[in-house]
Amino acid sequence: MSGVVGEARGGPLRYGLLSVAAMVILLPLLWLALASLRPQAEIFRPAVEFGWATFIPSRITLANYAALVRGDFPRAVLNSTIVATATVIAGVLVNSLAGFAFAVFEFRGRTLLFALVIASFMMPFEAIVIPLYLLVNAAGMTDTYAALVLPEVASGVVIFLFRQFFAGLPRDFYEAARVDGASWFTIWWRIALPLSWPTVATSCLMLFLVQWDSFFWPVVAASGPDHTVVQVAIARNVNFEQSDWGGLFASTNLAVLLAMIPFLLLQRFYVGSLVSAGIK
Amino acid sequence: MLRSRGVHWWFLAPALAGLAIFRLLPILIALVGSLFGVSIRGDVRFVGLDNFVVLFTDPEFWASVRVTLLFNVIINPLQLFVALGLALLVRPPGRGIIAFRTVLVLPMSVSTALSAILFGLFLEKNMGPMNGLLEWIGIGAQPFYRDMYQALPTLIGVATWKGAGYWMLFLLAGLYAIPESVNEAAAIDGASRWQRFRHVTWPLMKRPMAFVLVVDTIANFLFFAPVYILTSGGPAGSTNLLMFQAYQAAFTHFDPGRALAISTVILFIILVFVAIEFRMFRPAEGS
Repeated sequence: MSGVVGEARGGPLRYGLLSVAAMVILLPLLWLALASLRPQAEIFRPAVEFGWATFIPSRITLANYAALVRGDFPRAVLNSTIVATATVIAGVLVNSLAGFAFAVFEFRGRTLLFALVIASFMMPFEAIVIPLYLLVNAAGMTDTYAALVLPEVASGVVIFLFRQFFAGLPRDFYEAARVDGASWFTIWWRIALPLSWPTVATSCLMLFLVQWDSFFWPVVAASGPDHTVVQVAIARNVNFEQSDWGGLFASTNLAVLLAMIPFLLLQRFYVGSLVSAGIK
Repeated sequence: MLRSRGVHWWFLAPALAGLAIFRLLPILIALVGSLFGVSIRGDVRFVGLDNFVVLFTDPEFWASVRVTLLFNVIINPLQLFVALGLALLVRPPGRGIIAFRTVLVLPMSVSTALSAILFGLFLEKNMGPMNGLLEWIGIGAQPFYRDMYQALPTLIGVATWKGAGYWMLFLLAGLYAIPESVNEAAAIDGASRWQRFRHVTWPLMKRPMAFVLVVDTIANFLFFAPVYILTSGGPAGSTNLLMFQAYQAAFTHFDPGRALAISTVILFIILVFVAIEFRMFRPAEGS
């Protein structure tokens, strides 16, 4: 009887396979993190003679990180922070407004407009990067924060998540508030939005990840040093014949950690939303 | 539903304006712009379908189409297979499973560009630890993304490292939707583990798997950052994916007509898949 019960506990095979998968994911990240703590000259050397020393540094130093302060990296972190924060705040407001309208109001063309919203999130942004560049360039907006932020604010998937949440709230809620004389804007801001905090958390992470993951768009739309975001700044410094390995390792590792921390804090909301978005 | 007397437009306007300007308008620009050309003197003129004629008679374009198709034919089933395996592994509750699940989705937070840089270092030909390991176990060092036969498989591996956990989540949602009782009933009836997978799980998972396959294909047709960072389309054109072709046409050769023609081709392919995805999309009620 190796039935369902045995499966639920999980045999050694299951944990063996999971451990292999976890190793494949963690080993490169761990190696990067540990190597970034090595002195500049030793970053790669132990890799050649494979062994524990390939991963575990013999001497730990923060020199690579200290050196980053002098380069263009702090500016890139600042740019990314500005762009991500602006996108997340504007995105939550704009998309929850639209989601609220789709959930609460009855109006002509609602079904068609909502279908367009859904179609828009199935169409990835990268597909239109080049025509969008021509548009933004013609408007004289290249190399601005606006060029990085504005295209990512309206998001079909975030509108969809808010609509799903607001449509699930009991009707009486809105009606009672209307009877009390509250404006629709007040109802959205004071009642609906605070209640939707798990959706807000998911949306923040989604908007952040989209902005953080985008590469093609910032490479072409904001190539000047004043608006370079982290992932582009690091990619510019990738040169496999270079000498500043320390800087590359430290900046890459910092960039990985910068996104991983909010991800780990918010991922359970995100995972929950994906599951309940209900793809069956 | 409540009557709104026009107030809904105030709620919708910012988001709809954003989608119209930054999603819809660029599609129109691609379609219309692909019918125009820029002469050497810099003036823009209508050329009809000339950009497409030039594109479709260009062997480099077809080579890029071939690489893109090869890439997609391998990567999409592979990612689906890996994601399904991972989903099946983390589906039953157990000690430490939540921790494993968290590790499996961790690469979602490593941006595509950073994952390419990370593996650029990890798989470095002369100094990377992967080749240290391969030397140590006697296989010998490999060139990975520096070799015309290994570059595409390397990119596929990097993309799968980054993406498998994300796709796993969708399949996990599908597995959770299968009632526990169905599996238990089959077990009581004496069905082996394989039989239960084959006759219970597999048929019920067809829909989520098809969904992942379609969405994954859309994403992978637009694969760009790792090509830009690691291979620049090489060696010998072996990783010259369509998106990189479009980038080069626009920003290396400054040929917007060609770039928009390639964009239009990509858009057309994507729209076919979006239409399929749209028909499959059925949001759960009330959640």
